[in-house]
Amino acid sequence: MSEATLLSMRGIDHHRAPTEVRERAHLDDASAVALMKALAEDPGFVSVIPVSTCNRTEIFLEVRPEHDPDEILRRALTAIGAETDLFFSEHALRRDGPEAIGHLYRVAAGLESMMLGEPQIAGQLKEAYRLARKHQEPGPGLLRAFQGSFRAGKRVRTETRINQGAVSVAFAAVELARKFFARLSDQTAVLVGAGETGTLAARHFLQHEIGRLIVVNRSGERAERLAATLNTELRAGLLKDAKNRPVAVPELPGGQDRVSVSPWRRLQQAMTEADVILSTTGSLEPVILPEMVAKAVEARRGNPLFLLDIAVPRDIHPDAAKIDGAFTFGLDDLDEMIQNNLEARRRQLPHAEKILAEELAEFQRWLGEVDLRPTVAEFKAYLEELKDKQVGFVRKKKSDELAAEVDRSLQHFIKKVLGRSVSTLKRAETPEERERDLDTLKRIFSDDR
Amino acid sequence: MVAVFAVMNWLLPLMYLGVWGLYLWQFIQEHPSTRRWSSRAAVLVVLIHVAVLSLQSQALGRLPMGTAAEFFAAMAVALVATYLVIEKWLGAKSTGLLPTGLAFLFQLTASLFSSTVPLDNPFLRDPGFAGHTVLILLAYTALSLSFLYAILYLLQARQLGRKQFGLLFRRLPPLDSLERMSVGAVELSVPLMFIGLSLGHLWLYDLAARLAPDQAARLSPYDPKILISWVIFLVYTVGLIGHRLLGWRGRRMNILAVSAYILVMLAMGVVHHFVPSFHNFRTPRATLENSAPMPSLTAIREIFTDNREVDS
Repeated sequence: MSEATLLSMRGIDHHRAPTEVRERAHLDDASAVALMKALAEDPGFVSVIPVSTCNRTEIFLEVRPEHDPDEILRRALTAIGAETDLFFSEHALRRDGPEAIGHLYRVAAGLESMMLGEPQIAGQLKEAYRLARKHQEPGPGLLRAFQGSFRAGKRVRTETRINQGAVSVAFAAVELARKFFARLSDQTAVLVGAGETGTLAARHFLQHEIGRLIVVNRSGERAERLAATLNTELRAGLLKDAKNRPVAVPELPGGQDRVSVSPWRRLQQAMTEADVILSTTGSLEPVILPEMVAKAVEARRGNPLFLLDIAVPRDIHPDAAKIDGAFTFGLDDLDEMIQNNLEARRRQLPHAEKILAEELAEFQRWLGEVDLRPTVAEFKAYLEELKDKQVGFVRKKKSDELAAEVDRSLQHFIKKVLGRSVSTLKRAETPEERERDLDTLKRIFSDDR
Repeated sequence: MVAVFAVMNWLLPLMYLGVWGLYLWQFIQEHPSTRRWSSRAAVLVVLIHVAVLSLQSQALGRLPMGTAAEFFAAMAVALVATYLVIEKWLGAKSTGLLPTGLAFLFQLTASLFSSTVPLDNPFLRDPGFAGHTVLILLAYTALSLSFLYAILYLLQARQLGRKQFGLLFRRLPPLDSLERMSVGAVELSVPLMFIGLSLGHLWLYDLAARLAPDQAARLSPYDPKILISWVIFLVYTVGLIGHRLLGWRGRRMNILAVSAYILVMLAMGVVHHFVPSFHNFRTPRATLENSAPMPSLTAIREIFTDNREVDS
């Protein structure tokens, strides 16, 4: 790339657009590919990477100078039948040049996500990048920008704690359980209630590899149905862990299923087997009474019992919290935990911003030298050619040892000359001055050659 | 060399304080680079301290564990070294604050009460002393770690009980891990203590056989320090049996672990300072320069004679 291209971003995200608008702007894979093809016909187009998730649809575009990215994009979006005006409405976000790259880096690091620091966006960006590379050759600007954003995002996630601590109710429940038990796979959970909330909670604990799950419900039939569904999902590999791998199904003694059912009348018995109790019934009265909890705690011989009540109204009698060894939590506690975690994530922002600034500076450095590269490479080749001639002459007239010495010395000399030339070229005050300097340099060695 | 030891005597507590500061910083910040720095600093201090102890051993012709101050210094380095192994093994870096803090206190105590008068007690140069003392040192180090993890358990249980989801809640490991570490340390300590005490008895009988009857009589197996050590061993053994067979677990078990350790320290302090014991090796009669490289039976006899004269 001998000339600098223009990098832009046009998009819709959750900060500015409601769900309804985001749904209309969404580009599935087929639409994204169609957009790439439509753009490829435009003479000003270099490359594009469309990114579309549930919270954002952003189109990162690289065009040649003196071309208007808005015009190019408008034509292509209209050609594929997308709602073109959405990307230029009051909901839309426009970023050009360094601001577009800065935005991309922030997205990759999760700083623009609805849940600050969430890591899924990194995977989604990589998917978009892979899809784009499959259907076109990305321009050097976008290629470098995306690769830089992946590195920046990784650094933010590993060098800060911005993605630590649960920020959703389901994750908070698991995180809380993990403060009692290091390995959930060794624990047994009892799910009281097989409704919608119970199903979600059960699925989430299974995704986090709880060892065994016992479903207890007033309607045994419904409990059986839920257990069968969950066991089928487990066996079919439909439940994925945090790394999006199918949840491993450990062998239980006697070939038992990982999810089993216990009748409602045996709730107390099930509780005595439990390390974790999740209660989610629709009952108007508490179904787990203090004496039941006391018996369950007694059976645990001092080990703590974790009870999570996510029912409204509450399923666990408030007095159960007074029993030594029983730790009861409710929705309010999970919410407080989430707020604390979000606050802790926000405290990591300055550090994350610092990392992004370093990575952006690196990108800008690269961008600042991009027009120099071809000329500098040619100049280097010219100097190398001269050096080889000189070394060959010494080898012929003198000795191999002396030639090797001269070679080393001239290599050092070339390095110095190149370094000096590049820094002088970089110091040019205006693009015109830089262009003139490059031309002069080119003329010097081209004429000589 | 003496000047080097004098400087290190005051540098070491500062170094331990620095390591503790890094672990504190890490606990508050939990920044990955602070993790690296705190661990590296701890390793460096352990290496420096081990080098100092080795030089001291060479200069004194014995292990530098003859006095309470020397024992505390050895406990400091053993505590941090053992913690580093656990840190590497379990990856529980956020728990380094307490072991390094306790190590600092141990080293500070050692530095404050270290004596410039060298000991020349031939007991200390006997090979039996080295085996016995190192095992007892490791046993007490493990007990110290058990105490620290029990404290962390109680802190985390308190956070969970009060539903406080702050810094401690976020940083501390799960309750079952803390209990496992605390109990694991006791499981390590009890056999070490048994072997160390048994070795001590064997050494004692071996010495007694080599001494004149009146002098051998002073090496009593009913020495208060030995008796209290066996009581400690029994208390922790009962605790372990209770944990394994009777289901002593959770908050109460950890309260017991903390109480037991505090009692151990108090009892040892009382016995050391107020009860006469042949375990007191402080006989300031020789200098560093003229200390003999190997113990001799004659020298041991002389000690008893001297002590008797002092007592009378």
